[in-house]
Amino acid sequence: MTDFLRRLLATPQGLIGSLVVVLVLFAALTGAWLAPHDPDAMAALARYKAPGGDYLLGTDQYGRDILSRILSGARSTVTMALLATLLGTLLGAVVGTGSAYLGGRWDEAIMRTVDAVMAIPSLLMALLVVSLLGASGANALLAVAIAFMPGMARITRAVALTVRKQDYVSAAVARGEGSLYIVLREMLPNVIAPIVVEMTIRVSFAVMLFATLSFLGLGAQPPAADWGLMVSEARQYLHRSPWILIWPSVVIAITAIGFNLLGDGLRDALNPRT
Amino acid sequence: MPQDQKPVLSVRDYSLGYKVGSDTLSVLKTINLTINRGEILGLVGESGSGKSSMASAIMRYLAPNAIENAGAIHLGATDLRAQTPRQLADLRGSRVSMVFQDPATALNPTLKLGEQLAEVLMRHQGLTSAQAWKAGEERLAHVGLKSPAEMMHRLPHEVSGGEKQRVVIATAFACNPELIIFDEPTTALDVITSRQILDLFAGLQAETGVASLYISHDLALVARTARRVAVLQKGEIVEEGDTVTLFRAPQHPYTRALIGAVPRPDRRLVKADPAPEAAPLVKVRGVSVNYGRKSLLDSLLRRDFTPVVGNRAVTLDIKPGEILGIVGESGSGKSTLAKAMTGLNRFDGLIEFDGKPVRGLSDMGRDYRRDVQIVFQHPDASLNPRQRISEILARPIRLYGGRDGLPRRRQIEEMLERVRLPATYIDRFPHQLSGGEKQRIAIARAFLSNPRLVICDEITSALDVSVQASVIELLMELHQQTGAAYIFITHDINLIRQIAHRIAVMYRGDLIEVVATEAIAAPDRAPYTRELLAAVTPPASLTLTA
Amino acid sequence: MSASYILKRIALIFYTLFIVSLLVFGITQVLPADAAVMMLGENATTEALEALRNSMGLNDPIWMQYLRWIGGVVQGDFGTSLRTGQPVGPALFSALGTSLTLAVFSLTFMLALALPMGVVAAIRRGKATDLFVSFLSYIGVALPEFVTATLAVLFIADWWGILPPAGYVPLSQNPVEGLRHLVLPVVVVSIIMIAHVSRMVRSELVDVLHTDYIRAAHLKGLSRGRILLRHGLRNALLPAITIVALDVGYLLGGVIVVEEIFSIPGIGRALMAAIQARDLPVIQAGVLIMAATYSIVNFAADLIYAWLDKRIQYD
Repeated sequence: MTDFLRRLLATPQGLIGSLVVVLVLFAALTGAWLAPHDPDAMAALARYKAPGGDYLLGTDQYGRDILSRILSGARSTVTMALLATLLGTLLGAVVGTGSAYLGGRWDEAIMRTVDAVMAIPSLLMALLVVSLLGASGANALLAVAIAFMPGMARITRAVALTVRKQDYVSAAVARGEGSLYIVLREMLPNVIAPIVVEMTIRVSFAVMLFATLSFLGLGAQPPAADWGLMVSEARQYLHRSPWILIWPSVVIAITAIGFNLLGDGLRDALNPRT
Repeated sequence: MPQDQKPVLSVRDYSLGYKVGSDTLSVLKTINLTINRGEILGLVGESGSGKSSMASAIMRYLAPNAIENAGAIHLGATDLRAQTPRQLADLRGSRVSMVFQDPATALNPTLKLGEQLAEVLMRHQGLTSAQAWKAGEERLAHVGLKSPAEMMHRLPHEVSGGEKQRVVIATAFACNPELIIFDEPTTALDVITSRQILDLFAGLQAETGVASLYISHDLALVARTARRVAVLQKGEIVEEGDTVTLFRAPQHPYTRALIGAVPRPDRRLVKADPAPEAAPLVKVRGVSVNYGRKSLLDSLLRRDFTPVVGNRAVTLDIKPGEILGIVGESGSGKSTLAKAMTGLNRFDGLIEFDGKPVRGLSDMGRDYRRDVQIVFQHPDASLNPRQRISEILARPIRLYGGRDGLPRRRQIEEMLERVRLPATYIDRFPHQLSGGEKQRIAIARAFLSNPRLVICDEITSALDVSVQASVIELLMELHQQTGAAYIFITHDINLIRQIAHRIAVMYRGDLIEVVATEAIAAPDRAPYTRELLAAVTPPASLTLTA
Repeated sequence: MSASYILKRIALIFYTLFIVSLLVFGITQVLPADAAVMMLGENATTEALEALRNSMGLNDPIWMQYLRWIGGVVQGDFGTSLRTGQPVGPALFSALGTSLTLAVFSLTFMLALALPMGVVAAIRRGKATDLFVSFLSYIGVALPEFVTATLAVLFIADWWGILPPAGYVPLSQNPVEGLRHLVLPVVVVSIIMIAHVSRMVRSELVDVLHTDYIRAAHLKGLSRGRILLRHGLRNALLPAITIVALDVGYLLGGVIVVEEIFSIPGIGRALMAAIQARDLPVIQAGVLIMAATYSIVNFAADLIYAWLDKRIQYD
């Protein structure tokens, strides 16, 4: 474990990515307590304040402290992105490994169907699912998970098939090992690494997709302190104070970059042969 | 001294290293070499000896982290180290050229063969495209390719490996260079094709008198090809001299060890047939393997479906304690048979093991699995990179039960000792071991179940000669201790003649014949067997001392 | 590439559209929307609603409704919009034309930037240029379209007043104004793809430049230009074709956001409006048209790939 961490932190991507992600996760966990102000407290006299003084990042159209809103919004945004990615990966992994395991005609039929579903852009898919279930945070989570499923199924299947062809799996088959041992001990450890990498990178897509859904009015609903929603609401007031718009945009970008970098760092660190 | 008497290539006190982090990894140490016109110098070394770095240094194609000393490399009167990149580009391909190990990767997969040859002529001889194409056809005819005009228009994947290497050779000779570097030009080819390529090389070399640096790991081959040989060990030339003298009376211990490690058919490593009258342990009866499956579209269009044949009705016997060699070129179906016998391929036909019939996967019970073990070619692929040696070796004990009363870990340590590895390796991962060590782990895994038949699928072909020799020695030792029968699959005929009781020859999925090892060279063998044997380079010690 | 490969590939498009039609029909059936109520308004009598439902076939079994719908689609009839009462087909196809204009400009712009960026980064691997391109692409990939769009409107349109902040003028009507209105949307929708494609081109080319045949080309004394153009790029860009085609799926998603923000009357905006109004026939047709576009682009990419890379033996 320490060896793995050392390798992860040895690359610039891994180092910066880990730092950013740890910071973001920290904010997600403790943001509500760290917030200097009540994120929902309106102050008629302190509207559109520029950064500085009592309000480190300024205030929004209702005089709410932007920093506090970003900190308390971290929990919902990041947790939702993580959960949605995890759920999408799990669903995808089940379909992908199942397809690879069944093989032959079944595999072909399943993968062609997955390809077909991928013809619907993931944002559109998420929009459809949300409009079907109703606009809310929980439904957006499900929508993003479903939108991620076909892509993850494809990747899982490809990885599982590559590993399946390796001689160490053949050796286990020839030795007469049971399917359970082959899948859990021989294949899974080698399948998981590339999937974890892909998943990490997808978290950043999820953050962006959530923000987009909220922006389009189909994710979190006002007055929630959601990053995407903050950008959306700020648009009307950007001439009064651009900071209301800029800060949430910046945190969305930093979070996405962090997970992207971490994913690239993990790719190198999880390779056992280098 | 007049210019034409200068050596074509001279390397003086040349050293090369690579910068890795803050350290410098030394690859070549104070190298001195000369090659004269019309001469072939063989450069022999095992992997990691620095022989390929020597080629890169002469071609001035070094990695950015290379660090060189003040040594000199001259091509004729030209100081290669003093050339600008522009001047070097003018030299390469025209005055010095190179033939590569694997023609499949040395040729651009998306360009016509003709273009890849013609571009050299256009670059260095100033020919127009049409002239170069015409000249290219002549060059291809010259390297023995039939219908060269057609060949020019083909893409690499449309021709055989031997044909590709002929194109590469034609390209190297295209501008009549002074020096050609051959970097293991036959290693990636089959035995018979190799022989043809070597004959072509000998012919062209004699005809053009080009100075040649012939790099190889194969001592026997170099002895047949080169007049003078330099032996490279860990970046140092430990011995150099006239081929005959060097092989007859090697001075340096490394050279002696290397020559000793080369398989010699006359030096048998097994005793005679252990049980000539015994009933066969395994009877393979009419085993066929076909690949591929009919697609939906085929059935819709009612098209005929022709499966790819892996094996066609193979029938043979293996006696208890016997070592049966299976030889053949790539694609001959040797490994397919091994996979069928271990349940990795579906097959038609019957395998009878110890009197019990096996018709498919479902008949391969626990006893069969324990009794029949397989060792694969690449230990890198056959050992799970995420498992420690302790887990890898614990599996057979868990599955088949080890010796009672002994802790599993102790049994593994004992096995490690039997395959001559330190017991401390037990907690390592495969990537912390060398290639030969990894293969010993794979062998240990096979023998932990006390098998009665071990299938060795090209298990030494990825290893260096000296490592191969020690792995073979280990296998022979285990054979004596356990009395297990072996199926030893290989393309190395000299090696198999050393260790097998009988040899099965395969060709394109068919079993040509099974003969006693002593009779493999008899004149009444099948034509293919004779062709195969004729193509094999006999060990130098035999040809040179005779 | 054989005829049967093309046949198989076309069959695949139909299979894709079939699955997508099932999906979208299924989703729209579950959507909590009553077409009859939408058309007649909340105050309609129960009898009138029931009569309309019967005449629209809404009381038929679902599979019959599906067959009726898909039967119409096959004949080019996508139904009638519940919101406007107009036929869906003509409106959506003219919107698709607008979106395709946006998409084609975006793809061209993206390739014009991403290819050189990737190639330069690969050639100057590890140097400052490479790091700079990597840096840009890390940032580009992390900026959702709505963020870049909003910032672009704020800075370029509102503050500096260089370009119009929103709206669409058909190119056929006024090319100059049309182009001026396209600049921001095209740039915004391209950014993520530029980041993605340039990274991909870089890694493909780095791999190709390390192959034996490139080394062989150097050792034949060929010029750097010829090695790069004739031997390197060709092999590096081949896989890019398929990846760019897959990115078209992403592009179509981005188009939805960008059309919404810049008020461009394309298919994305029509879909957004339909989703908000639960205009089922428009949603069904819109999704189907998007999936068809994606499938056809990928089919074309596969054909081009197979045509350029003769190694691939399709059967």
